[in-house]
Amino acid sequence: MSWKEGGGGFGGGGGPRDPLEILEELKGRFQGRFSGAVPGGLVGIVILVALLVWAATGIYIVNPDEVGVVKRFGKYSRTTAPGPHWHVPYPVESVLTPKVTQVRRVEVGFRTVASGPPARFQRVPAEALMLTGDENIVSCEFIVQYRVRDAQQFLFRVRDPDGAVRAAAEASMREIVGRNLVDDVLTEQREKIQIESGDLLQNTLNIYEGGIQIDFVRLQDVYPPDQVIDSFRDVASAREDRERLRNEAEAYANDILPKSRGEAAERLNQALAYRATKVATAEGDAARFEALLKEYEQAKEVTRRRLYLDAMGDVLSKAKIVMADGKGGSGVLPVLPLDAFAPREVK
Amino acid sequence: MSTKPLKILGIAVVVAALALGNVFFIVDETQTALVVQLGKPVGGVKGPGLHFKLPFVQNVITYDSRYLEYDATARELITRDKKNLKVDNYARWRISDPLTFYQTVRDEMGAQARLDDIIYSQVREQLGRYDLIDIVATSRPQIMADVTRRTAESARQFGIEVVDVRIKRADLPEANERAVYARMKAERTRQAHLYRSEGEEVARQVRSQADKEVAIILAEAYREAQGTRGEGDAAATRIYAQAFNRDREFYAFTRSLDVYSRAFKDKDVLVLSPEGELFQYLRAAGLPR
Repeated sequence: MSWKEGGGGFGGGGGPRDPLEILEELKGRFQGRFSGAVPGGLVGIVILVALLVWAATGIYIVNPDEVGVVKRFGKYSRTTAPGPHWHVPYPVESVLTPKVTQVRRVEVGFRTVASGPPARFQRVPAEALMLTGDENIVSCEFIVQYRVRDAQQFLFRVRDPDGAVRAAAEASMREIVGRNLVDDVLTEQREKIQIESGDLLQNTLNIYEGGIQIDFVRLQDVYPPDQVIDSFRDVASAREDRERLRNEAEAYANDILPKSRGEAAERLNQALAYRATKVATAEGDAARFEALLKEYEQAKEVTRRRLYLDAMGDVLSKAKIVMADGKGGSGVLPVLPLDAFAPREVK
Repeated sequence: MSTKPLKILGIAVVVAALALGNVFFIVDETQTALVVQLGKPVGGVKGPGLHFKLPFVQNVITYDSRYLEYDATARELITRDKKNLKVDNYARWRISDPLTFYQTVRDEMGAQARLDDIIYSQVREQLGRYDLIDIVATSRPQIMADVTRRTAESARQFGIEVVDVRIKRADLPEANERAVYARMKAERTRQAHLYRSEGEEVARQVRSQADKEVAIILAEAYREAQGTRGEGDAAATRIYAQAFNRDREFYAFTRSLDVYSRAFKDKDVLVLSPEGELFQYLRAAGLPR
């Protein structure tokens, strides 16, 4: 518990009034009461000193992060702001100074063993494992952050408010997770679950009048239980496999399609080239023939003979010539050089 | 003026009396108290503040007036569909009527025991009316509201006000847990298979689609190319025909000559008769006939 019976500690911010001043004032009051005279001599002084000491025990300081709650004979009497104050000392009044601005935290499903760095955590499976709405089991580790909203309620209405927060937090988280499907809990519904369980928790605590304000509920870690985590991971990798296969196939498509379009263009161009060549060749040949024909018609006989002889000259200059008498039975056999028969047969 | 020393004296007396602690007693803000005289409560319930009693014959019993926690150990219960469920409840309660409370259960220990009986029997009865999945998923708030209402009714006779009974945890016993894990695994495996074969499906679609497009592209290209070549051939044929038709005989002659000059390769052996027209001048030694 973070509140103390009795006077506040040290290190609080200075208030408008110094305890010493209050003392002076008190002394003044007493002196006023006895009109400056000291009655009864020594006994009076002793009583006075005793009273002063007793009065001094009523001084307390409320730190900036606290409020002072004063009880008179055990009954709530007033709330005081940060700064130095005085209450009627024991046994009439007593004071509690709960830390109201302090952020409190409950860890469910795990405990921080060392805040580190590096922070080390200890899992608490009994708290973390819970059933989902489709009868699966997930492990949810979460924290609840809360603060004191109403110091009076916090101090006087609930015994063990922190324990109440923990119990109610577990109950609300389990209730909300129980309404969701396992896949949603593990993935996209986390935000919604946090908000819903926070609201449910706040409503529950309001019933208990604990004076507690929930800042937030945050899921730290949500994962499948150890027994099945491998199969969950396999699903994730299967999903990745699916993407990989798709990508590979698309890469293949992206590889062969443009290539084939290129090949198609190539074939078309070759065909166009062929057509152009064919046509041009034909036109060329035709033009040549027509030109020749024109001249031939001028001098048919001569041209024929010339062309024939040119061609024969061409042929005969390349070939080996063997003369043989065309008339059968002449008996003349030409002597042929052997190398004439080496490359090929004579026809 | 003269009352002031008296006041101081009064305070001193109060201090003395409190020191004796037998006449005055303080009830804290978090408590209520009963004054008991020889085992019988007298004078009603005392709230926070300063009270007094007769010394020695009366004594004080204080109760906590705050909301108190009740947290039982988890117990196995049977649901309507005959499944076991390990249920851990907690409750928040308050001593609302200290007098009745004192007469019936005496102290917190007694109260906890009573609450234990009441809550357990209520939870068992209510859970037995639902199937497991409803308890986990949908009917939990309803069940808790019913249990709270009935528990509050039963607890009232003990001066106890129950504000809330909650199912903190509802878990499966270990044996069923194993079955759930097995089912979860099976479901995941099914899903993994589905994803992988979906990947295969898409991959095959994409690949075959690509192959198909490639085949079509090439076939269409072939068709067009052949058409183009044909056009070329046709055009060439027409051009040749137009030209050569002007003198077929001469065309045959020139083409034949072309063929002769192309047909024979180097070193071909030609066996020629000297009788041929070509050699007429060779025979005639260049003399005119």
